[in-house]
Amino acid sequence: MDFQGIHDHLRLINAPGLLRADEPRAANPEDKKDKGRGGDAYLVVEADALASFLETCRDDERLSFEILADLTAVDPGKDDEDFWMIVQLLSVTLRHRLAIKALVPKDPGQIPSSSAVYRAAQWHERECAEMFGIEFTGHPDPRNILLPDDWPGSPLRKDYEFPTEYRGISCE
Amino acid sequence: MATEHKPSITFHPEPRNLPGGEREYMMDVSTSDLEVNMGPQHPATHGVMKILIRTDGELVTAAQPHLGFLHRCAEKIGENVEWLQYLPYTDRYDYLASMNNNLGYSMAVEKLLDVEIPQRAVMLRMICVELNRIASALVAFGTYGLDLGAITPFLYAFREREWLLMIFEKICGARLTYSYLRIGGVFNDAPPGWLEEVSHFCDVFEEKWQEYYDLLMVNHIFVKRTADIGVITKEQALDFGLTGPMLRGSGVDFDLRRDVPYLRYKEAYDAGAWKVPVGSGEKGTVGDCWDRIFVRVQEMMESLSLVRWCLENIEEGPIIGDIAKTLKVPPGEAYVGIENPRGELGHYAVSDGGKVAVRCRVRGPSFCNLAILEDIMPGTLLGDAVAIIGSTDVVIGETDR
Amino acid sequence: MAALPIALNAAQAALEVASSEGGNLTLDLLKQYAPESVPAWILPLTAAAVSVGIVVAVIALLALTSVWLERKVSGHIQCRYGPMYAGGWHGWAQSIADGIKLLMKEDMIPLGADRALFVIAPALVLGAIFGAFVAMPLSPDFFFADLHLGAFFILGMSSLTTIGVVMAGWASNSKWSLYGAMREAAQVVAYEIPLGLSLMVPLIVAGTFNLLDASAGQSDWWGMGWYIFKNPFVLPAGLLFFVSSLAETKRAPFDLPEAESELVAGFLTEYSGIRWSFFFMEEYAAMYLMSLMAAVFFLGGFESPFLHFAKAAELPVIVCNLIAAVTLITKSMIGVIVMMWVRWTLPRVRIDQVMTMGYKYLTPLALLCVLGAALWEAGKVLIFE
Repeated sequence: MDFQGIHDHLRLINAPGLLRADEPRAANPEDKKDKGRGGDAYLVVEADALASFLETCRDDERLSFEILADLTAVDPGKDDEDFWMIVQLLSVTLRHRLAIKALVPKDPGQIPSSSAVYRAAQWHERECAEMFGIEFTGHPDPRNILLPDDWPGSPLRKDYEFPTEYRGISCE
Repeated sequence: MATEHKPSITFHPEPRNLPGGEREYMMDVSTSDLEVNMGPQHPATHGVMKILIRTDGELVTAAQPHLGFLHRCAEKIGENVEWLQYLPYTDRYDYLASMNNNLGYSMAVEKLLDVEIPQRAVMLRMICVELNRIASALVAFGTYGLDLGAITPFLYAFREREWLLMIFEKICGARLTYSYLRIGGVFNDAPPGWLEEVSHFCDVFEEKWQEYYDLLMVNHIFVKRTADIGVITKEQALDFGLTGPMLRGSGVDFDLRRDVPYLRYKEAYDAGAWKVPVGSGEKGTVGDCWDRIFVRVQEMMESLSLVRWCLENIEEGPIIGDIAKTLKVPPGEAYVGIENPRGELGHYAVSDGGKVAVRCRVRGPSFCNLAILEDIMPGTLLGDAVAIIGSTDVVIGETDR
Repeated sequence: MAALPIALNAAQAALEVASSEGGNLTLDLLKQYAPESVPAWILPLTAAAVSVGIVVAVIALLALTSVWLERKVSGHIQCRYGPMYAGGWHGWAQSIADGIKLLMKEDMIPLGADRALFVIAPALVLGAIFGAFVAMPLSPDFFFADLHLGAFFILGMSSLTTIGVVMAGWASNSKWSLYGAMREAAQVVAYEIPLGLSLMVPLIVAGTFNLLDASAGQSDWWGMGWYIFKNPFVLPAGLLFFVSSLAETKRAPFDLPEAESELVAGFLTEYSGIRWSFFFMEEYAAMYLMSLMAAVFFLGGFESPFLHFAKAAELPVIVCNLIAAVTLITKSMIGVIVMMWVRWTLPRVRIDQVMTMGYKYLTPLALLCVLGAALWEAGKVLIFE
């Protein structure tokens, strides 16, 4: 199924938390500041309902997204109020993909964990948590995965400042 | 994994009355499990990874991978250097399959740029990527033998890999970190005689491959060490998001090159140039270590036929599209997943129209494939644990990025 | 000071007993050529010292050569050359250079290790294996101790190395070393039985534990009266012996105590320098010991048509001895090379498979061989005599 088909189907079965589709669009020739957007089409989903939305995508027979290929976050900019949670789903039987976006407010930066739906999400969420400071509520193993346990700050946030020293070692 | 400190001897409070009027006092002599750090400097972890294992004698009762020893902030660097400058960093996550990494990143950026790739560049890309897949599978095969104590196949595999590295050196000047596949095409054209040498390699390698297969894959001890060991069921594999040979080893017929096609793989598949090998439980259960390594070994041959198909269909022409020196990528977000030797390598790039990426996410297949160790290692012997780690074929550069 | 002569007397008595058991070439030579003024008790001591010197020298030389040989064999199996530079011709001096390097290395004992055991372990291992060689004759007339229970003595001494290995593993205070030590203990206990039992088969045919007599018993049929040809159960027993001796000497595919990909280096993890090289030497010496045993008890010992015709032609004794020594060393060398060949070809088996094989297959098979050989020999006696 293509993106449009998946979107229509999800509307039809009334998937929980589905907000809208965010599709690439051409630049508006009248507005010089608007350069349009290229790349993939996304389904925008309510952050709190992400886990149940993923469950619907996994269990629905016409979608059957068995694999969670990727789960990550984006900090679009210092002034932005939200993180984007990006989830890439992949169906092995039906051979289609779906990209999902959820907006997570930076304050308080909480989202329910999806690792009960896809076990694959567990490590990705750990990485997101340490890199962005997002808290995944209900995560079974919320430790740092790539960074040391006592690393200060969340490196992939745009307002991150490189530490000048770590445990007495100068980083400059 | 906190250590439980139990008293070594505990008495049962109630003595048992024996028929002769005697009273028997029972006691339990409890033994505590041994917690061992397997790594970061352990020969079986294929790099600096630590697996904390708890063992009861030889039996592994719990395992927990610890990553991050090789974390080089690839994603952060991606947000700080220009689009073209980031390409050499991609070489460094899965250093055994740099061509594939270049391809993944280039394709993600190309998707945002919306440029057309010249046909010759597409074919050169396919040849290099598939040859690199063979080189990578040779390392996987050789080191797997090494993990199980067979040292010789490793050196045989490295002999052929050496030739491949020389072939790569001829086309791009580097042996490991190629940066050959550029955004918009490839770095330079094949030098004279290069395509003939690749063709010669294909002929020689086919013969050698059979030798390796007979030497290791059907060796009785090897089969006994790998069959029925570390079985990953289809459901487990899908739940953990395994991709690549790990997924196909569990009996799932899925290959991104065919099913979410890119370059000209679909065309080659329809022309019958290659197949997708899937684990069938030939020596044991579907999804055991033998199946996984079997899929990798079979893929070498499939890649070889793909290279042959490319050599037949390559045409003269330009090798790189119209790409500016300082690249400004139009705003947008693109995710491209390609079939790396270890699974789906995902690049997710976000641009705001500037010279630098807003987000440059890398989804390393080894990272996802490694998570399954926690589930399949408990209940195996120490020797099996090594066999299982080897069969996941991790490259630490990619898990830690 | 009075204790000294008493101790010396005791030593003399012991040595006389030992030497009177069979006779010792060195002692005989000394007795023949020593001037009268030398006190009689010095002779056996000197003989013992010289014999020990020769054993140590010969075994060390064999071990050094076979380290070099192993590197060449593995190199050629793996499509490379192996050492090529040290010493000139095919890197013959590589082992010597390595030995000097190992001697130069810092003598390291880990902080948490049991120092005494850590130091004793390599010495015990090496001492045990050299001790076993004392009972091994080099030619019919050149030997150090001709023991009536030679085979028994050699098996016992070579098992002593296990204690050293377990000691090393425990004393290192490292978890990997401990695993290695436990594996070694389990493995050796499992394989001592089939090793001893399979050796029983040629012993039944030979009717002696003495290595010289066992070898001499194969001199018929123009020097081809080897025990493997004399009794149909000796050949399978020989194969069992070979497999068990691989396990006994910790050689691949049974190198589980070391298992470099599983246990880092097993019981050797914390050892370095010259102590480590003691274990290394022990491995090669043990390979030779087992191959020599196999050569003596299964493959005709000194006997071959060459020796037979040399004797028939009434060549000088020294030439016959030389031919015998070369024959024995060649036979054992073949055994050693086969061990190397196996090591560089096969993957390692798993510990439970090792145990299963030892207890469930090799031991019953060896027992069957013993039974068969005994019945065959008894039948021969009943029918022909």
